Amino acid sequence: MLALTVANFKMMVRNRQTTFWALFFPLILVVAFGLFDFTSPDVSRVAIAGDTQTPFSSQLAEQVQGIEILELEEPPPGVEEGRELIVEGDLDFLVVIPPGYGLSSPEASPGSGLSAQAPVKLISGGESEERVRLVEGIIRPMTDAAVLGETSAERPETLLGERVETREAPYFDIVLMGLVGMGIMTHSIISIAVRISNYRNLSILKRMLVTPLAIWKFFAAEVTAQLLLAVIQAVVILAVGIAVFGARIDGNVLNLLPVVILGSLVFLNIGFIVSAWANSPAAASGLGNVISFPMMFFAGTFFSTSTLPWLLPYGAEALPLAPMITALREIGLHGATLWDVWPQLAWLAGWVAATAAAAVKVFRFS
Amino acid sequence: MSEAIRVEGLVKRYGSFTALEGVSFGVEEGEIFGILGPNGAGKTTTLEIIEGLQRPSEGRVTVLGNDVLREAKKIKARIGVQLQSSAYFNYLSLLEILRLLGSFYPHSMPPEELLEVVGLSDKGKNRVDQLSIGQRQRFTVAASLVNDPELVILDEPTTGLDPQARRNLWDLIREIHSRKVTVVLTSHYMEEAEALCQRLAIMDHGRIVAIDSPDRLIDRIETTYTVKLVTADPLTSDQQHLLAKSATLQKSEGGSDSAADEPGSYVLRLNKTPEALNATIDRIVRSGITLKHLEILPATLEDVFLDLTGNELRD
Repeated sequence: MLALTVANFKMMVRNRQTTFWALFFPLILVVAFGLFDFTSPDVSRVAIAGDTQTPFSSQLAEQVQGIEILELEEPPPGVEEGRELIVEGDLDFLVVIPPGYGLSSPEASPGSGLSAQAPVKLISGGESEERVRLVEGIIRPMTDAAVLGETSAERPETLLGERVETREAPYFDIVLMGLVGMGIMTHSIISIAVRISNYRNLSILKRMLVTPLAIWKFFAAEVTAQLLLAVIQAVVILAVGIAVFGARIDGNVLNLLPVVILGSLVFLNIGFIVSAWANSPAAASGLGNVISFPMMFFAGTFFSTSTLPWLLPYGAEALPLAPMITALREIGLHGATLWDVWPQLAWLAGWVAATAAAAVKVFRFS
Repeated sequence: MSEAIRVEGLVKRYGSFTALEGVSFGVEEGEIFGILGPNGAGKTTTLEIIEGLQRPSEGRVTVLGNDVLREAKKIKARIGVQLQSSAYFNYLSLLEILRLLGSFYPHSMPPEELLEVVGLSDKGKNRVDQLSIGQRQRFTVAASLVNDPELVILDEPTTGLDPQARRNLWDLIREIHSRKVTVVLTSHYMEEAEALCQRLAIMDHGRIVAIDSPDRLIDRIETTYTVKLVTADPLTSDQQHLLAKSATLQKSEGGSDSAADEPGSYVLRLNKTPEALNATIDRIVRSGITLKHLEILPATLEDVFLDLTGNELRD
C-alpha cells in the first residue's frame, strides 16, 4: 500500500493541472487579497462613555457627527462594555469622559481648582496610528479648552490615549483561513473526481480488481496521497500569507491539522460521489466545479454569511466548508483549542460519515 | 494433463437479458485456447467470470484447481490478465507501472526483464501515452506477466492493430506459450485463431457451438467450396434458379472486398461433394452469364462459423 501511495503522489505531482488547482489557484487569490488594503475602512466608529450627561459630552458628540470619516455610535452601558466592543472589533474608538467633566463648578471640587480634573481617555483598538492621531487631534483642542484657567505649560495632559488588544483579526487573515479551506475543498473534490473517472474510463479500476490487491487498499492509498497533498496545500498557503503578506497565526498550528484532514475527507468523499455520477473526466471536473463554487461563496470564504436573507445563513452554516473554515479561523486567529471547536469538528465528522456512506452506495467500478 | 480451467454450466443474466446460456468447456494446462465469436457473443463475460470480475448467475468455474467464488484471491495471485482496451496510469513510466503492479503480488518478475520479453527495453522511462498502439498492447501483455503467472488470459489482444503489429503480438504469445504458460485468448479474427490456437471454442449468442482444434473444425466441412463471382449484369431469376440447384446462392452485400460492392456480385456455397463444384461450373457456363470475375476458395474457419451459426462472423 505504501508503494501505491507513493505512486499516487508521484502521479499527482507530475500532473501539472493538479498542482495548479492545488496550489496556484488559491495562491493567486491570496496575492489578490493581500494586495488590496482592507485594514483601514473609510469610517471609524466612535462611541462616548462615562459621564455622557454633561454639555461637554453633547458638544463632543456634535463635533464627531460633523466629521465625515467618523461615525457616532450609541453610547455603551458602561466603560467596560465599550472596551469589550473594541476588543470584539465592533467599535473603533471609545471616548471616556470623567464624571462632571467640563462643568466649571467650584462646588464640585472646592479649593482644588479644575487642574485636579481627571483627563479624558481615548481608547482605541486595531486602528492605524494615523487614524488615532487624527481622532486625538479632534478631541484634544476641546479638552484643552475645557480645562480653564491654566497656562499650557502647567496644564497636565488632558487627553490620555489607551490601546487595547483587539481580538478581531485583520480581514486578510480571515480570508487567508477561508482560502485554506476553499483550496482544499476545490482540489479534493475535483482532483479525486477526475482521477477516479479517468481510472474508470481507462479500465484501471478493473485492472486493480484482477490483482490480489485488496481494493480498499487501493482507495486508502488514493485518499492518503490526497490528504498529504491537502496538508502541503495548507502549509504553502499559510506560509505565503505569513511570509509575504504578514498574516498572524495566534493559535497552535498543529491544531489546524485535524481540521484540514476532516475537511479534506468530506470533500474527497464528495469527489468519489461526483466520479460515480460523471461519465467522463471532463464531466467530473465540471460537476466538481458546480458543487465547489457556490459552496465557496455560501460557506463564508470571503464574506460573512450572516447578511444572507431568510433562512439561508443556517443553510450556509450546514455546508461542510462552513464548519471547516470556522474551526480554522477559531484556531488560527483566536487561539482556540480543539476542544473549543468541538461542535465544528463533530459536524465535520458527521459529514465524513454521511458522504462516505453515500460514496460507497453510488460508487461503480465500470 | 490436468485442466487449467473448468467451466461448467455457466449462465449469466442481466435483468431480462441472458448473456450466457449454459457455457461449459475445459482448458488444458499448457495449451493456447481460443474463444472465437462476434461482438456480443459472450466472450468477455465468460472471461470476466473466470477472472473473478463478475459473478455467474448459475454454474461453476474452477481455475488452477480453485473455485472462483471462494478462492478468488488465490487464483488472482497465479493468473495474469489483460483486459480489453486496458490502458495504464498516465503519469507513471512503464517501469514504475510494472513495479507498482508487482508490489500487489507475493512474487513478481523484475520489470526490466518483462520489458525485455515484449521488446520494449528502451522504453522503460517512457509513459504509456508515448507508445504506439502496438507497443501499448505489448506493454499490457507484459503487465499481465508481472506475477510470472501459470495462466494468462488475453481479451482481444490484437484488436485495432495493423497486420505487422498483429504478427508481432502473435510471436509474443507463442513466446509466452513456450515458457509453459497456459494462454486463453478471445478474438474475432479467424486467421488469428487458426494461426495461434491449439483448440478453439466458437461462441455465438451466449452459447458454445463447437470446440475442437482449428484443423478438425475445418475438416468437418472439408469439401465445402466458396465460389465468388462477379457478373456484368444482374442475374435473371431463371439464372438464379439454375445456379441454386447445386449450391446456396447469396447476393454479396458490401464487405471489405471491393469486387463485392459491384451490383452483380454473388457468393455460391457449394454442397459437400467435388461433383457439386463441377456441376456448378457447368451451370455457370451453360446459363450464358458474362463473368467479370470468378474465384473458388477452399473452406476456412469463416465457413465453419457460417455453417454452425448461419451468420457471417464479421458484420
